[in-house]
Amino acid sequence: MSVNNGTSRRAELIQFVVLSLALFVFWFILSGRTDAKHIIIGIVTAIVTSWICRPVLRLKSTTNRGEVIAAYNLPYIKLIPYIFWLLWEVVKANIDVALLVLNPKMPIEPLMVKFKKSMSNPVAHALLANSITLTPGTITVDVQDGVYTIHALTKSAALSLAPEKGEGEMPTRVGKLFNEK
Amino acid sequence: MKFVALFFLLGGFFFTTVAAIGVIRFPDFYTRLHASGKGDTLGVAMSIIGLAIYNGFNLISLKLMFIVVFIFLANPIGTHVLSRAAYRSGIKPWVRKGE
Repeated sequence: MSVNNGTSRRAELIQFVVLSLALFVFWFILSGRTDAKHIIIGIVTAIVTSWICRPVLRLKSTTNRGEVIAAYNLPYIKLIPYIFWLLWEVVKANIDVALLVLNPKMPIEPLMVKFKKSMSNPVAHALLANSITLTPGTITVDVQDGVYTIHALTKSAALSLAPEKGEGEMPTRVGKLFNEK
Repeated sequence: MKFVALFFLLGGFFFTTVAAIGVIRFPDFYTRLHASGKGDTLGVAMSIIGLAIYNGFNLISLKLMFIVVFIFLANPIGTHVLSRAAYRSGIKPWVRKGE
């Protein structure tokens, strides 16, 4: 128990330092000045900000009560191909919606669908909900206990997310990303 | 390089225009949210990427890319909050009649 506590405290300290450094680099890029006054203000601001953010980064697991998940514990390397895939999906889907809007008959068929995806990491839920909303044709209306309520513009958009059998491509990919079934 | 920038700027212009037309043409709150919330994300992002390419690689284009990243993170959240507020206050989604 004490060992476990010690390692988690150490991980938190490392995270604190990394977040402070990242915030300082961000400050430095935005300010673009190298005199002492601006650098000192930047260091102090970065440290205070990451100190205030400490409790926000400890997330409660959504399935297992009492378990705590660190928000910074992300599969960063696996995220990169996912982001490129998502960008391509966004472009494709945007062209589809543009065609729908410009079509004189406007063949839309809005409907609400629900599907369940149980993942324990809240960050995974946030990523999935954000990706769904980002892809045109679908909006995440509500997420409660892993049940997603989606408003879809067309039937095919709804079916691509929540097919009759099995699971849509996007939830599967996000699940794989976070090593959840 | 200027032609690539022009391509991105025109693409952004196209998607933003389509989003505006969609807001006018679609029938109810949720479908209008589809048009405004997402056409804008790609439209504005493409415009800003076009500006960054036109500007060449320096600190200003790096800052512009930060704006793109934050738009991609924040715009879906705004869309989601609006749609959830509408859903919880009981707005019924429009459905095509005569099926």
